[in-house]
Amino acid sequence: MLAQLIQDPAKAAAALSRAPKPELDAYGQLPKLASTFDHVDGLFYFTYAVCIFFFVLILGVLLFSVVKYRRKTFDQPPASNTTHNTPLEVVWTVIPLIIVMVMFAWGFKGCLDMTTVPQAASQNTYKATAMQWNWTFTYPNHPVKSSGAVWLEVDKPAQFLLESEDVLHAFYIPSMRVKRDVVPGRYQTVWFTPTQCGEFHLFCAEYCGEQHSQMYAKVHVVTAEEFAKAPWNTFDDSTPALAAKSGENIYKALCSACHTVNGQSVLAPSWGGDKGLFTKKDGNVVGRARQVVENGQAKTVVADEAYIRESIRMPLAKLAADFAAKANMNAFGPDKLSDRELNAVIEYMKSLAQ
Amino acid sequence: MTTHAPILDTQKAKSEQPKNYLNCSSGFWSWAGTLDHKRIGIMYLIGTGLAFLAGGLFALLVRLHLWEPNGMLFTNDQYNEIFTLHGAFMVFLFVIPAIPGSLGNMILPLMLGAKDVALPRLNLLSFYLWVMGAVLAALAIVLGGFDTGWTFYAPYSLYTNKAVVTIGLGIFLLGFSSIFTGLNFIVTTHKLRAPGLTWFRMPLFVWALYATALLQVLATPVLGITVLLVAFERLYHIGIFDPRLGGDPVLFEHFFWFYSHPAVYIMVLPAFGIISELVSVHSRKPLFGYKLIAFSSLAIAIISFLVWGHHMFTSGQSTYAMFAFSFLTFFVAIPTAIKEFSWVATIWKGSIALNSPMLYTLAFLIIFAIGGLTGVILGALNVDLHLHDTYFVVAHFHYVMMGSIALAFFAGLHHWWPKMFGVMYNETLAKIACVTIFVGFNVTFLPQFEMGSQGMPRRYATYVPEFQPYHSASTVGAIILGSGVALMVSYLVASLFIGKKAMQNQWGGVTLDWLTPTPPPLENFAHAPKVTTEVYDYSTLDLKSTQTPIG
Ligand code: HEC
Ligand code: HEM
Ligand SMILES: [Cu+2]
Ligand SMILES: [Cu+2]
Repeated sequence: MLAQLIQDPAKAAAALSRAPKPELDAYGQLPKLASTFDHVDGLFYFTYAVCIFFFVLILGVLLFSVVKYRRKTFDQPPASNTTHNTPLEVVWTVIPLIIVMVMFAWGFKGCLDMTTVPQAASQNTYKATAMQWNWTFTYPNHPVKSSGAVWLEVDKPAQFLLESEDVLHAFYIPSMRVKRDVVPGRYQTVWFTPTQCGEFHLFCAEYCGEQHSQMYAKVHVVTAEEFAKAPWNTFDDSTPALAAKSGENIYKALCSACHTVNGQSVLAPSWGGDKGLFTKKDGNVVGRARQVVENGQAKTVVADEAYIRESIRMPLAKLAADFAAKANMNAFGPDKLSDRELNAVIEYMKSLAQ
Repeated sequence: MTTHAPILDTQKAKSEQPKNYLNCSSGFWSWAGTLDHKRIGIMYLIGTGLAFLAGGLFALLVRLHLWEPNGMLFTNDQYNEIFTLHGAFMVFLFVIPAIPGSLGNMILPLMLGAKDVALPRLNLLSFYLWVMGAVLAALAIVLGGFDTGWTFYAPYSLYTNKAVVTIGLGIFLLGFSSIFTGLNFIVTTHKLRAPGLTWFRMPLFVWALYATALLQVLATPVLGITVLLVAFERLYHIGIFDPRLGGDPVLFEHFFWFYSHPAVYIMVLPAFGIISELVSVHSRKPLFGYKLIAFSSLAIAIISFLVWGHHMFTSGQSTYAMFAFSFLTFFVAIPTAIKEFSWVATIWKGSIALNSPMLYTLAFLIIFAIGGLTGVILGALNVDLHLHDTYFVVAHFHYVMMGSIALAFFAGLHHWWPKMFGVMYNETLAKIACVTIFVGFNVTFLPQFEMGSQGMPRRYATYVPEFQPYHSASTVGAIILGSGVALMVSYLVASLFIGKKAMQNQWGGVTLDWLTPTPPPLENFAHAPKVTTEVYDYSTLDLKSTQTPIG
């Protein structure tokens, strides 16, 4: 792309202008507001306008002076030697003081609104669990969780209880104007009322390591009828093929930050390719031999269901030899991955066999 | 301010090769073991300059990588190491030590009419601590790098399997280097002022370094303690910051910002000092509101201890804490605004020489206006909850750290270069470089405000495609900025070999630093100068003898 810009700027510019456009508000500085926190936008544009006013004032005086009072001969004296002007100094102290106090009060009022959870929101409480590097959501009135995406009902205040399994993260939905750090060892809360149906970004805004930038979830705001259908509940293991498909969804939400399925083992052993977990022998899918380290001893085991199950429930028991020094996988207990879900993931792993 | 014109040893100097601090002795040890504040200043200049170039190289790599949404050059892990290196090098090895270490060391004793700083040995020790800090930083890269960001937030910094302890130790030593410089400047300012140089006759650069020194001595120990605690926590698992052991990661943030907010003023106050000097000299006009500027430095130094919580508005602090921190943050904006207004008022109706130091100064005034004003936007509580940890904050602090502090450093460097080395650089190239840097800087960082307010989080190795136009523009800007800096370094270095001889008082300044020969002799003044006039009184300047360039 960079080389292209140098060789063929027109084409590169065209390619850039074809990039997907974010949906912005009328002034083009903020994403289109999709919650009730309009005071954020109000104060942002107010301070923005004040800033532009003072900036133009300063720039104007500077440019004017430089042009008008430029030294033309080496001994030109200054046009004035004033070093004080008390009224002026009072004015430029008091006026900014008044303005910033307005901003302060306005900002604090908005902040109170954002931190005081209303009754309706606390009766509609989600849980968002952050871990390196994915988000899992628990719903107020539905047993099935979702990962990598969350569904909300439009115009219904919602509260999120935030918890972290490992390091700091931050829960950030730009379109809703909410951000809150997710701190291990304590619960944090945010609330908001989505006012627009649509899909929105949820970013992790606090640096959390290697895949921080991929710690993403999609926020779906839908109507009440749509929401009643629990669209996140796609899990289906009634046939092996459907189970593999459900397993793939789980993989994408929870495992793909580290594991690939294309044979490249960068952060963690790949599940596919010619060193994948399973292989095809005489038409049957069988586990491959794995080099592992157990209690410091090197060993060879067969990657069968039992081994895989153990690797997921208790990753530290047997470490894949190539990654023994960098084994950073969290344990996925039954609370995070039910037995049926685990079997679906294994079904998906098998479907990758070559 | 004039003195009983020291005729100095000029008569003698004519008959023989003039001896100055550069040629009075030679050989490796005459530099490595020197106690002369000017030579130590030069060594700091070289050291921090190299750190800046290294940090700049990392910055270019970061920007090139971000050209494409999926990243162009590195794995995510490598990217994280490189942005961390960029931040840590720039903050700890360049922005904090550069101005006090190089220009401060060089000019403060000259401005006070002193032979040297009060504690020359401590001065040399402070430089070697800086060197050891730099060596440990380099060692940390060899030992596997570190990927925590310059903020070292726990618990990630406790869990990552990289060389965090090594760099922590480096920062500990750099902290002491900074403390020693501060201590030295405080004692020097109190004890070694020339006769007649009362507190309110001191140039504002001295005032600024003094206020900085107070912060360095009072705030830096907290940083030292914090990095030691992180190291202990990693090595012995005590349970202070690690939530798995019952520790509190938010406590780390408090400790860190209790130092690092005052630290941003450790970085910026010396820059303010340089700008105050330059605005006055190159407008040939006494500073508007001298006392107010001097006091606002002290006011900023004090209030800046009470606003650290504005970096943690999203951490879940209580609404009372948010109330107080936001209120005080807005308060700190007032003395800052007063300074900016006073500089502009000084230029107003001045006799403005548009030479390269003044161009850099004007660039500072424009960029700092943006940097300070966007700080005010971030101080508003509800708005900060949206903008925190996005590129908006990245742009804000680059406007103050790169655009203002580094540019003020460049301005001061161009201003005192003739004094330091006795030669002038090529003015035309200097102007071209200044304009290039100014344009490149704005092209790099203006788009970052845009994408930040649209929701682009910081420290991202990859990003959603809708931000690509802004990232690409920013990368183009970084290339322009980089070439401007490369040009500047080249003509400055070239001037040492082919530069024209500089005049004693190149710009027509009236502070004591312009009274010594150029370059100054080993002990600066043949006789202690005596100050009889008020500060920045240009009426006594003998224009015929200086023939200052008009730019
Ligand atoms: C934080 C990164 C990370 C995430 C997320 C992750 N893993 Fe792992 N995984 C690893 C690493 C590193 C290893 C190798 C070390 C070990 O054996 O524990 C590994 C090993 C494994 C193994 C053994 C592989 C072999 O070749 O021997 C299995 C099976 C596995 N993971 C399954 C999963 C599943 C299922 C998920 C999602 C529910 C998942 N992992 C999520 C990092 C991760
Ligand atoms: C008018 C004066 C200023 C105000 C009101 C102000 C306000 C703020 C606020 C509120 C933040 C926190 C933003 C966030 O993280 O959400 C911030 C960040 C920052 N500011 Fe300023 N600021 C001012 C001037 C400066 C100056 C002069 C410097 C530097 C020398 C500076 C350096 C920084 C840095 C380095 C950060 C971010 C650090 C990080 O998170 O990595 N600021 N500022
Ligand atoms: Cu993150
Ligand atoms: Cu701060």
